[in-house]
Amino acid sequence: MQIRSGLSGGQYKPLTKGDIARIHEASLKIFAEVGIKVNCPEAMELFREAGAIVDESTNIVKIPRNIVKSLIRKAPSKITLYSRGDDSAYDCEIGGTSVYLGTGGTALNVQDPGSVESRRSELKDVMNMARMVDALDNIHFYMLNVYPNDLSEKNVDVNRFGAALNRTRKHIMGGVYTVKGVKNVIKMAEMIAGSPAKLRKRPFISMVTCMISPFIIDERYGQLAIEVARKGIPLVVPSEPLCGATAPITLAGNLVVLNVDTLAGIMLTQLVNPGTPVLYGCVSSITDLRSMKYLAGAVEMGLLNAGASQLAQSYNIPIYATAGMSDSKVNDAQAGYESALTSLMVALAGGNFIHDAAGFIEFCMTASYDKLVIDNEIIGMVMRAVEGIRVDDETLAFELIKETGPGGHFVSARHTRRHMRSEQYIPQLSNRDERSIWKTGGAKDTHARATEKATQILSEQLKSYIPEDIRKRIHDNIPGIQPFIME
Amino acid sequence: MSKNEILEKIYFNVIQGRFRAHDEGIDEGLKGQEAVSDLVTKALSDGIPAKEIVVDALTKAMGRVGSKFETGEYLIPDMLASADCVGGAMDILKPFLIKDGVESKGKFLIATVAGDLHDIGKNIVKIILKGEGYEVIDLGTNASADSIIDAAKENNVQFIGLSALLTTTMITMEKVVEMSVAAGIRDKIKILIGGAPTSHEFAMQIGADAYCSDAFKAVIFLRQNSVS
Repeated sequence: MQIRSGLSGGQYKPLTKGDIARIHEASLKIFAEVGIKVNCPEAMELFREAGAIVDESTNIVKIPRNIVKSLIRKAPSKITLYSRGDDSAYDCEIGGTSVYLGTGGTALNVQDPGSVESRRSELKDVMNMARMVDALDNIHFYMLNVYPNDLSEKNVDVNRFGAALNRTRKHIMGGVYTVKGVKNVIKMAEMIAGSPAKLRKRPFISMVTCMISPFIIDERYGQLAIEVARKGIPLVVPSEPLCGATAPITLAGNLVVLNVDTLAGIMLTQLVNPGTPVLYGCVSSITDLRSMKYLAGAVEMGLLNAGASQLAQSYNIPIYATAGMSDSKVNDAQAGYESALTSLMVALAGGNFIHDAAGFIEFCMTASYDKLVIDNEIIGMVMRAVEGIRVDDETLAFELIKETGPGGHFVSARHTRRHMRSEQYIPQLSNRDERSIWKTGGAKDTHARATEKATQILSEQLKSYIPEDIRKRIHDNIPGIQPFIME
Repeated sequence: MSKNEILEKIYFNVIQGRFRAHDEGIDEGLKGQEAVSDLVTKALSDGIPAKEIVVDALTKAMGRVGSKFETGEYLIPDMLASADCVGGAMDILKPFLIKDGVESKGKFLIATVAGDLHDIGKNIVKIILKGEGYEVIDLGTNASADSIIDAAKENNVQFIGLSALLTTTMITMEKVVEMSVAAGIRDKIKILIGGAPTSHEFAMQIGADAYCSDAFKAVIFLRQNSVS
């Protein structure tokens, strides 16, 4: 099976160079004239030391443009988010316009295979979703996608990461909830890596905290970001401005808010630990103006994240972008077209680490097992589109065409065999049978076939990717670890 | 090389679809190595009976290729490359098989019928049938019913395969069936038809023996209806 990952996008450019310059200029003016609100004392102190103007009565921090520029320049332009496989097939070398797509987080509900309902997610779902991601070739990474509602908050971080680390070797990114949790997750990852230095050399976990749009570094999330940056673990401090709610209704206005927010997060990480791996983070979208709900499957979401990818490229900072979700409640046509459209847009724009692109329905609140299988197919097709059309002597095939001549055929040409598997995406889910064969096979639609595949993956024997002695050490040394995830 | 090694290599290269040394295979790095044509010649000069080459290397390999196709690992161009190897090998082996008194699987006359110039499908069927070990007589395109019946009698064929892509040319198929009755050879031959506008119903209606939706259906029919 050929896995397409890390190919170069950037063919789709909704913003011109001039547009990017204007968004950048507006952002610098906001840093200098409006300022950001920093509710985290340690973060405020760091900005003050760097030369920002701090108003302690309002927590507003105004940052002169030269300081903004010099701080974001410290962020690395390329980051490798490692996998733990035998080869580098699933390493995500992000930066420039390289494209990877995977799951996102964090939903509170799951939809079981074959179901149209949803239920509260539990720790076992974190594990089972990891097994799905591990088995589905086109999903490039596992971002911890559901919240374990059956655990108390203090145990959430270690169990989410632990359950995933034992069931897939693809890169694992996850939102974090407590400073203590962050410390213990890193400790656990260091045990798996073999040493703290080995984890820093090949980080196979990364973390997400967040900004509050517009322009707030919250005390708790600020503290989490500081902790992760200090530990040198790759991090993203994304922002989720919503048109008409926490950002102007216009897409350009949203991009200005987004840019200020995520650059503020990037600056904070570089103040804590210059050069620490950090991603530009965009979760921008729109709201449903009849209910003020967040929308996940809107085409504008695709535009915003494609534009944000261009902004990140202009700063030479890898981007964590968003695409591939649906607002549908079930795996119907809406779920398919919304996911396919936005994934394609953002991937073609060269979004690097495109999260939420597998498994999400219902405003990003429900993770569907069946949708993972469907999105695996969508991502496969999207990556083929990103690959584009190769034009050279070999693919132009002049000699072959000449030899074959008018009325000839290419079915049995060696050239056909040489290129047929790489030129064409080979579907894993789509049905291309004739009607009679499709009928004989039970006339199953896409959802039914996805359910079959999901059920099959989940019925397979549990695989463990952490050696037994290390599992025992984790079990004995990491407080709150649930025994079943380390089986 | 021992006898088993040679047969094993022929088997391997048929599966790889490599007839000549410069052909590439499915696996990397085979280009330039000995392929089916060289290996079959070598096997004969080593005194390995032609029939053993057919049964233990060629037929066995096509069986494996068939199962790779069934599981989706192989695509039609892979099948054709392998069938091409067998067809080429049979051309080399033919005089030796005749000398040894081994009968061929049968003669198959194939044609695209009068008024029709579409022959890609017919040519694919031809490669596959040769790969199965049949002697194929190809009348090309635009073949009239008369020429088909004449050639069938002259060559004493057991099978006739007719192809059409245009609905307007299907009528010639019916004419061939009628003329074979008039010529007194209808009970000695099986008539197979195929092509996009044809169907099982049409085949039955004109009195043909089988409708084959693709080359593999033809092979299945032949396996069930061959003398040897």
